[in-house]
Amino acid sequence: MRTDAELMEFYRKGSRDAFEELFARHHRRVIHFCYRMTGDQARAEEAAQEVFLRIARAASTYQPTARFTTWLYTIARRTTLNYLRDEKEPGDKVPIDVTGEGREGTDGISLPGPGDWGPERIAWGAQLQERFVAALQKLPEGNRTAFVLNRGEGLSYEEVATVLGVTVQAVKSRIFRAREMLLAELSGLLE
Amino acid sequence: MECREIREIISAYVDGEALPEEARRVEEHLGGCAECRTAEKRMRVLGVSVTRTEGAVPPDFRENLFARLEKEDLLPKRRSIFVYSLRWAAVPLAAAAALALFLLSSREPVRDLSPTALRPPQVSATGEQLSPEDREIVANLEVLEDPDLFDEPEIEEMEIFIPSSQQRG
Repeated sequence: MRTDAELMEFYRKGSRDAFEELFARHHRRVIHFCYRMTGDQARAEEAAQEVFLRIARAASTYQPTARFTTWLYTIARRTTLNYLRDEKEPGDKVPIDVTGEGREGTDGISLPGPGDWGPERIAWGAQLQERFVAALQKLPEGNRTAFVLNRGEGLSYEEVATVLGVTVQAVKSRIFRAREMLLAELSGLLE
Repeated sequence: MECREIREIISAYVDGEALPEEARRVEEHLGGCAECRTAEKRMRVLGVSVTRTEGAVPPDFRENLFARLEKEDLLPKRRSIFVYSLRWAAVPLAAAAALALFLLSSREPVRDLSPTALRPPQVSATGEQLSPEDREIVANLEVLEDPDLFDEPEIEEMEIFIPSSQQRG
């Protein structure tokens, strides 16, 4: 089976089949990523289409030394950022803690106590899923992207750091902060 | 170590990103701290929840995207079925042409089937034009025409020779 990098090379040389294969391999994960980032199906579809258009437009700049999925998510992240920026209204979607973006410390929001969320009460039904998607959207973009790329897309901390252009330690802190904020946001639901 | 200090390491531990030394410390701490064990469990649940958050792929997603790619001339067009047929037919067509050329160039001249041509060659009755070898052949024509003359006479009986020493036994 050909690698993504090889397919990109074939596409650059004019192979339609190579692009079709790349699309078949990655379109689902791109749509999932866009949905996790925007929380909206219609916007996720639009953003995902834009991601593939950008991949096609930027094919000549792709360096086979870079891992394709890292390059793909770098484009996907920038695309969703543009969508969020373009469609954001004043006062809409205020992050839980904007000042927490990039903070390396662990002060601030504390996790609920053991009595609040017994394991037996953790049942991720449809309602909670909906609340989770909403809570995800309230995270600062840097924390949300780091958490989604790692837990949702399966990228390592190092790969997430490459996509975001930050250190591995910063990724570690952002993911932890994302967890703290999500738990704080969702704790009321189970009380 | 304080719980607040180790929570970030627990987060990395849950993601499989803690260093071996950090993982050892986390496991040691979790063994004696119920609050952090609950926190660890919740962190794992959040991870599962994000994987369950998925967008749907609409049925016309591919069609719409490829139409846009073609509109922007970003996608090589599919060749028509005629061009593909020609490409696939090229090899057998070339082989057939080569075979036809070979047959045409190596064909024997057409035989003259007229009665004159089919008539047996005439031999001079006078023998004036015959060479000595020809004359010898003509003299032995009777033998050549009757192959039975070469046959061995049929053997009616066959005598079997048995050595005298074996006859006694």
